[in-house]
Amino acid sequence: MGRLHYIFILSLSVLLATAQEELFDLLDEESGSTQYTYATFKGTKLLNGQTNETPGQGVLQYIISHRFGSFTDEYLYNFFGLDNAHIRMQLDYGFSDRLNVGMGRSSVLKTSDAFVKYRALRQKTGATFFPFSVTLYSSLNYRGARFTDGIDHNTTDRLSYHHQAIFARKFNESLSLILAPSIVHWNLVPGPEDPNDTYHLLIGGRYKLSKRIALTSEYAFSSNRRYGSGATEERFHNPISVGVDIETGGHVFQFHLSNTRAMSDPLWMAQNPYSAANGSLFLGFNISRVFTVNQ
Amino acid sequence: MKKLLLSTLLISSTLLSAQQYLTREARLDFDAGSPLEDIVAFTESGSAVYDESTGKIGVQVLMTSFQFKRALMQEHFNENYVESEKFPKASFKGSYSEGFVAGELTIHGVTKEISVPARLDQEEGNYVLITSFDITLADYDVKIPSAVANKISKTASIQVQATLKRFSK
Repeated sequence: MGRLHYIFILSLSVLLATAQEELFDLLDEESGSTQYTYATFKGTKLLNGQTNETPGQGVLQYIISHRFGSFTDEYLYNFFGLDNAHIRMQLDYGFSDRLNVGMGRSSVLKTSDAFVKYRALRQKTGATFFPFSVTLYSSLNYRGARFTDGIDHNTTDRLSYHHQAIFARKFNESLSLILAPSIVHWNLVPGPEDPNDTYHLLIGGRYKLSKRIALTSEYAFSSNRRYGSGATEERFHNPISVGVDIETGGHVFQFHLSNTRAMSDPLWMAQNPYSAANGSLFLGFNISRVFTVNQ
Repeated sequence: MKKLLLSTLLISSTLLSAQQYLTREARLDFDAGSPLEDIVAFTESGSAVYDESTGKIGVQVLMTSFQFKRALMQEHFNENYVESEKFPKASFKGSYSEGFVAGELTIHGVTKEISVPARLDQEEGNYVLITSFDITLADYDVKIPSAVANKISKTASIQVQATLKRFSK
């Protein structure tokens, strides 16, 4: 009888203990919510290229970019190229958490541009899962610089386009990678045998060193780098850049070293005349500032 | 005797499971703002459980579920302050008695014992939990850079409101 009592009390206490553990386990049971991956990148631009990020709804973003002169050519005399800068300014707005529209103006060939960026798919975990984000990006570029070939050009000759799909994945807190196939279309190309369309594949990524500092890099392959009939030498070179992102509150500072100076998409992507192998390297930066104008 | 034992066990286990109350829609608000910056956020997807027989009570919330007015503030909250990737959840595990909840509060991977006033009232067969308390951010190892130190309050006030419904498996 005593033993039975003992067993009874024991089982009851075990049961009670289990019930307690189970109570707090209930908290952990999947509540059916989905968590979207946030902050795959700090900025909407990686270096020259785009990230999958857009400003949130109601956010106005201003980006100022500089690309300096040659880093290597008489670097002390030219102060590492800082005496000679190209500039691009960009203003864009988040109409929703997905849709971003903006415009820019660059001093290289006095190019004006307008773009639309749309977050089509977002990486997510939890109740529903998707392994990467997809953002669609399209830009229209207008060459403002006068033609010097003496031909009376149509306005359409001044236009070029860039259409891109950006696949991005945040692998962990530190590492995010981008794969972005794109097409560049020129209404006017240098020679009759040059292709109007060139295809590009940008690979890039960031690695966070601390909460607010990250290393970034990008490289873009190009389907055609030899413009002109029978051209044997590559006239254009694939863009390569390495940089560092520093975030301070509403600003993102992006400093980098690159073999490109142009900032409108078709120019830096498809018609970059500078070769890193030949020592053409340029310092540059993007600084972004966001303003929440509509909460 | 064995039959008695068995039935007692069965009855007690049914009783135990029937005395639990649960919600997945607890509302949590927090405010870490200052006169210079308005920093408030809320979520309506917190979980809360309560066991009537033992007084044990638990609340848990996913940090990424907090919604801010500004997207960038939300990103900074998750990425720079509470590090949601490393510490996805905040939880309280303790018990309720006589107008107080006491137990372990875990935020940002740091666990502290707290005891704060709370109301737990029975309403139409449900339990309604209401509590409001302040925490010191430094206690939970949440670091505030000196550049924004005057914009963010050193303490955050947290409010919890939950209607827990009878739960049986």
